[in-house]
This record gives sequence, structure tokens and C-alpha cells, in this order.
Amino acid sequence: MSDIIRREEFGEVAILYITTTSVDAISAAAIAAECQAMRPITVLDFSEVAFINSAGISALLKFVVSARKAGYKLFAMHVSLHHQKIFKMVEMSRFMPVIEERDLAEYRVA
Amino acid sequence: MERVELNIPSNPIFERVVRASAAEVGSAFGFSTERIEDLKLAISEAVNNAIDHGNRRDVGKLVAVVFEIDGEKLEIRISDEGGGIDKVDIGRHTIEEANLEAGQLRGFGMYLISELVDDLEVSSSHRGTVLTLRLYRRGQP
Repeated sequence: MSDIIRREEFGEVAILYITTTSVDAISAAAIAAECQAMRPITVLDFSEVAFINSAGISALLKFVVSARKAGYKLFAMHVSLHHQKIFKMVEMSRFMPVIEERDLAEYRVA
Repeated sequence: MERVELNIPSNPIFERVVRASAAEVGSAFGFSTERIEDLKLAISEAVNNAIDHGNRRDVGKLVAVVFEIDGEKLEIRISDEGGGIDKVDIGRHTIEEANLEAGQLRGFGMYLISELVDDLEVSSSHRGTVLTLRLYRRGQP
């Protein structure tokens, strides 16, 4: 298990909390390695993330590729307005839409 | 004119030093929080390009970053000691399904820079490449 990702799982859902503030060239490999352990619904939580650059985006795309191969759904949660703007620029939102925490409530009680 | 100059080895960890400096310079220039984030990302991309593509991570080669505040203009020059480049593609570069299938997951840096700064200039020779970014105070949201 990585120090950079903290996991929470319930039912078919995995929430991967990114615990580093910088999703960049330094943290990219450790983050991308976690794409090997996804669940049918996987949510990346960005609440602690203050910075994402293109090296970080490349790492996040590893999750997109893994999810597509497995037929899983991938979402992002707690994405700052700045990072939503960057995701829109590169059209990340098409492949990893942003959801609200309340949208997961039905899975927690199932 | 006020000037700040940094020289870092071509190790990606030191890009974080430049990014932290960019935040301070942007704040001193009076940028909003959002424009400081834009500045940090643009400089991060430029420095990573210089480290990876210019100096090819040779830690014996330096990346020079110069911030100059001149009135309403903030100019940043990022220079490497590589062999130069033939051309730069600053066209729109978004995530495409075909690229995902092919495993091509990189290449967003120059596009992001061009979207986040007011003005971008590239000059390159066999002695290295210089990227000049300009942001203007009046252009901030």
C-alpha cells in the first residue's frame, strides 16, 4: 500500500484519497501504481491536492485506461475550481467526471 | 524593474522550488489566487520541459529561471542547456480516445502553458532553448 493513497472500500466502491499535495512528476509513479487495484466504481478524492500538472494528469490517465479496460466507472471528488478548469481544458472531465460526496451515500448503505 | 533569478539542477524535485518561488513572485506582483495557480502551473510545465526534453535530466546541466517585474508586466524566462528543438506545438491538445488506446498519455504541457499565460515566445539554438512567458496585471480575472 502506498503512503500517497489511502483507500476506503465498501461494496463495489473504492475511494482513493490522494494524500500528497502535489500530483506532479515526483508523485506520479506512486499514484499511477494504485490503478492496479480499482473497484467497479472507483473515486479519486482530491481534497488534499493543491497542485496538478501534466505529469500528474498522465498519472491520472492510467486510472482512466485501467477503468476502460475493466469496464469500471471512474469519478473525481473534491476537485478545486482551479483543477476543474484544468480538467476541462484537457477534457479530463469526459473520462473522469466530478461527483459529489452525497452521490456515494446510496452505496454506503447498500 | 525587479528581478529574481534561480538556477536549478535538472532533477524534477527542484521544479517544486521554482513553483514555490513563482507563488511568491505572483503574490508580490498582486495576482489573485487563481492567477497565481495559473502562473505556478505554466512555470511548472516549462521547467519540466527544460529538465526532461532540454537537459534530458542531466543533473550537471542547469535550468535557469528569471522572473522580471516591469510595471504591469511579469516576464519569466526559462532556459535549458540542451541541444535545441526544431519546432514547438502549442496547438490544442486534449485527451483523445485513440491516444488512450495507444498509451499516449503525455504532451499537454505546451498547450496548458499557452492557455494560462498572456504571451508565449520560444527561441532555440544548438546552445539551448529559452521559453519566455509574459503575464499582465490588467489581464487578471
